[in-house]
Amino acid sequence: MKINKGLSTYAGMLALAGGLLAAGNVQAQSEATECIAPAKPGGGYDLTCRLAANGLEKTGMIDKPMAVSYMPGGIGAVAYNHVNGVRDSDPNLIVAASTGAAVNLALGKFGQYDADDVRWLGALGVDYGAIVVNADAPWQSLDELMEDLKANPGDIAFGAGGTVGSQDWMKAALTAKAADLSPRKLKYVSFEGGGEALAALLGDHIQVFTGDLSELKSQLESGKIRVLAALSEERMGGPYADIPTAAEQGYDVQWPIWRGYYMGPNVSDEAYQKWVERMSQLARSKEFAELREARGLFPMSRFGYEFNDYVLEQVDQFESLAKEVGLKQ
Amino acid sequence: MKLAADRLLGIVLIGLAAFVAVQAMQLEVPFSYDPVGPRAFPLGLAILLAALASVLIVKPGTNEAWPGRQLGVKLLLVLATLLVYALLFTKLGFIITSLLAVTSLARMFGAPWGKALLTGGLMAVVSYYLFAHALGISLPSGYWIEPLL
Amino acid sequence: MFDFLIHGFDVALSPLNLGLAFLGALLGTLFGALPGIGPINGIAILMPLAYTLGLPAESALILLAAIYTGAEYGGRMSSILLNVPGDAGAVMTTLDGHPLAKKGLAGPALGLSAVSSFVGATIAIIGLTLFAPLLAEVAVMFGPAEFFALMVFAFASMSVMMGKDPVKTAIGAVLGVLIGTVGVDSSTGVLRYTFGLPELYDGIDFVVMIIGLFAISEILLMLEHANRKDGNEGLPPLGRVFVSLKEVMACKWTMGRSGLIGFIIGILPGTGASVAGAVSYTTEKRLSDKNNTFGTGDMRGLAAPEAANNASAAGSFVPMLTLGIPGSGTTAVLLGALMLYNITPGPMMFSERPEVAGGLIASLYIGNLVLLALNLPLAGVFARVLTIPRWVLVPGIAILAFVGVYQLHSNLAAIYLMLIIGVFGYLLRKLGFSLAPVILGYVLGGLMEQNLRRALSISGGDLGILWQSGISLGLWIAAVALLVLPWLLPKLWQARTSKA
Repeated sequence: MKINKGLSTYAGMLALAGGLLAAGNVQAQSEATECIAPAKPGGGYDLTCRLAANGLEKTGMIDKPMAVSYMPGGIGAVAYNHVNGVRDSDPNLIVAASTGAAVNLALGKFGQYDADDVRWLGALGVDYGAIVVNADAPWQSLDELMEDLKANPGDIAFGAGGTVGSQDWMKAALTAKAADLSPRKLKYVSFEGGGEALAALLGDHIQVFTGDLSELKSQLESGKIRVLAALSEERMGGPYADIPTAAEQGYDVQWPIWRGYYMGPNVSDEAYQKWVERMSQLARSKEFAELREARGLFPMSRFGYEFNDYVLEQVDQFESLAKEVGLKQ
Repeated sequence: MKLAADRLLGIVLIGLAAFVAVQAMQLEVPFSYDPVGPRAFPLGLAILLAALASVLIVKPGTNEAWPGRQLGVKLLLVLATLLVYALLFTKLGFIITSLLAVTSLARMFGAPWGKALLTGGLMAVVSYYLFAHALGISLPSGYWIEPLL
Repeated sequence: MFDFLIHGFDVALSPLNLGLAFLGALLGTLFGALPGIGPINGIAILMPLAYTLGLPAESALILLAAIYTGAEYGGRMSSILLNVPGDAGAVMTTLDGHPLAKKGLAGPALGLSAVSSFVGATIAIIGLTLFAPLLAEVAVMFGPAEFFALMVFAFASMSVMMGKDPVKTAIGAVLGVLIGTVGVDSSTGVLRYTFGLPELYDGIDFVVMIIGLFAISEILLMLEHANRKDGNEGLPPLGRVFVSLKEVMACKWTMGRSGLIGFIIGILPGTGASVAGAVSYTTEKRLSDKNNTFGTGDMRGLAAPEAANNASAAGSFVPMLTLGIPGSGTTAVLLGALMLYNITPGPMMFSERPEVAGGLIASLYIGNLVLLALNLPLAGVFARVLTIPRWVLVPGIAILAFVGVYQLHSNLAAIYLMLIIGVFGYLLRKLGFSLAPVILGYVLGGLMEQNLRRALSISGGDLGILWQSGISLGLWIAAVALLVLPWLLPKLWQARTSKA
């Protein structure tokens, strides 16, 4: 008897809920802007979202604070599918992305969707790869390391904070290629994040760490590491002024890690242009430059269709590299 | 009855072990820098699991009493409520779904209608303000309701 | 030598910073008490606030550090009261904490956990003050081979939990390790057991795992208890509220040992409060559980993981402050906060920005005092949660579970997964499994596999690397001793007495 009563109660609730569900589908678009960080709180994507959120708020370009929400999963795959499948036309939603997302798109790790399935909005900053060894290591220049690597690839363990095929691995793979060594012959150890790899370098468990310039700032000051090369187009300023680029030393390895955003595939041209305008204006402001520097990022300004083409081209390049080393058929 | 549950569990676990092993064998590995590779660990676990499960079949342990039919139906109802809560969570927004879920859960745990509704209303609204405004956690607000607030 | 600390106390004791330490302790306790919303989220959510408020660097850091330690305190509350761990470090706390609450001793249990947290954290902070730079050197000596040996040791130490049903304990641990293999293989990038679902690529999230396993299954079990016809409504009336000095003193060595263990494990990058809690609990069970009362509401079984998880939280500051290497997710977020203020942690920080380094350490001392002062008297208030009728408590747990998972994932798939794991947890509990081995297998298994494979890729497949260094050799010997001695010692003893 009691159960029957419970059941009827429940049926009533379900009916009520069903009715409300129908009503709920008619959504009004809210004014508030949102940035999805496709990762857990505290990572690089969180930082990317906060950069836009703080910048836009500080310069008064948006009146309500931008909400930052987290959607971890597959280094961005979950968010990519979400934006393609569910919120494909939300004019107030941007999603953080980076070179890492482009690498995964190239490897086909974002499921059924390709790189041209979203509208690439622009990048607000960039970091660069770096080739790092312990301060006690025998190599004083990239040349010396490369010579040794060619002679004894089995004696030099590379390490970084990513799996085979990740953007961290790409840095090691490209370095090997520059030494005419197949990336498959490399000795490579993957860690959980750059911090762990750096600790392994300091403890002499690995010999070379392929990391990012911005995460090396404190180590540079303490003098415990030596950065053999920055993987940037030209020398960086400030604390990095003494670090030569790989190109200077005769090796054509560049690895910019841009931090940018994309929007849903069915966002109207009007809304897209509005965001492009907003972002490029933000990138020009002085307040923003301070925010960007505080996060250890270097300037990069590519917006709108120019950025879209840049990403698509990059994905093509990564794809051919992946095929070359046998990561993709 | 007691014995059957653990033996059944043992058989299910052996099935699971077989599934784990077959899936591991089917992994395609482009290339691996370590000699162990991604297959070895799950395979070892599958063997270990199958061995332990065999012990369980031979020598079953003790279980707690299983719920009767009445209780079983109630358990399913609670689960169904949680599932419906999840299904509607983003569509209707936090406040409405929580009101519904809390009220029906309170009913199932023996509260009279009035108290259940009161609990539902209070808990939904108070927790929304606590989470969304005091702690800054973004919750689905159910866009349609926003103009009313 | 300790100028920076004196300077630090000066900074930390200013009215603004003292107020912030209070605020952070309160907010942190609240964040920690909510299942699934642990220190990382608390800090990540409040960091922008500190920045927008325009707080100076040392004040912001003091606020964030207070939130961190507060969350470690708060995590124990739902463990003790509801059998639902508030965060990773509080899993082991459920083992004896909840049985204590069931005996009507929720108040004393909360009080004791506050005292042990305080003792553990204090041991660790003193260690941090005195030996930070030295310990950092030791921490980097831990490479993949040493971590692998540490994991072997941790699994060996779990053998003590085998208790009444060794087969089921082992099966639980294996199932946990298997759950941990879901997702991208962190070495080759191959997807394992994801069945084409991108939601599973990153593996099964820890928060989804503990909320499902503990909170959802608890709701289902509560329904059973509520429907029991034998009139047993479960919980006895609340007994006394405060912990007695005698009870605290009975645990003093437990707290000391566990604080030390927690601190050492906290220093190592990559191992966190959950490992610290597990190792200290099993060590303590081995050392002092003479009457087999651990797991049935033994005060020492509560004091051990509580002292250890707070100590490990403070320990994880060592590699961050001295090397600029984050040892845990939470310190990674704190590191980000420092960078935002243009401060680069490292040995230079103590000389270049003494107000920050000293202020932070001083605020850890103060924050812990504040937390003790806050938590001891409030134990009675919090214990009242148990007198809340089930029809209020259960929907409350449900809301917390949903919010905890949703704010981390913004994704319904994670909530469905939580429900599935909840049913799995319910079935396990009905089948006579303990949940702790499942969680430990899940946490330790992944670390074990990764570090084994890392070590072997460094050595090129040579197994010798696994016991090459003194550290790993020592850990191997300790692990073997843990497994063999309990079996061997009684026999030797017998042989000796029979000879005599």
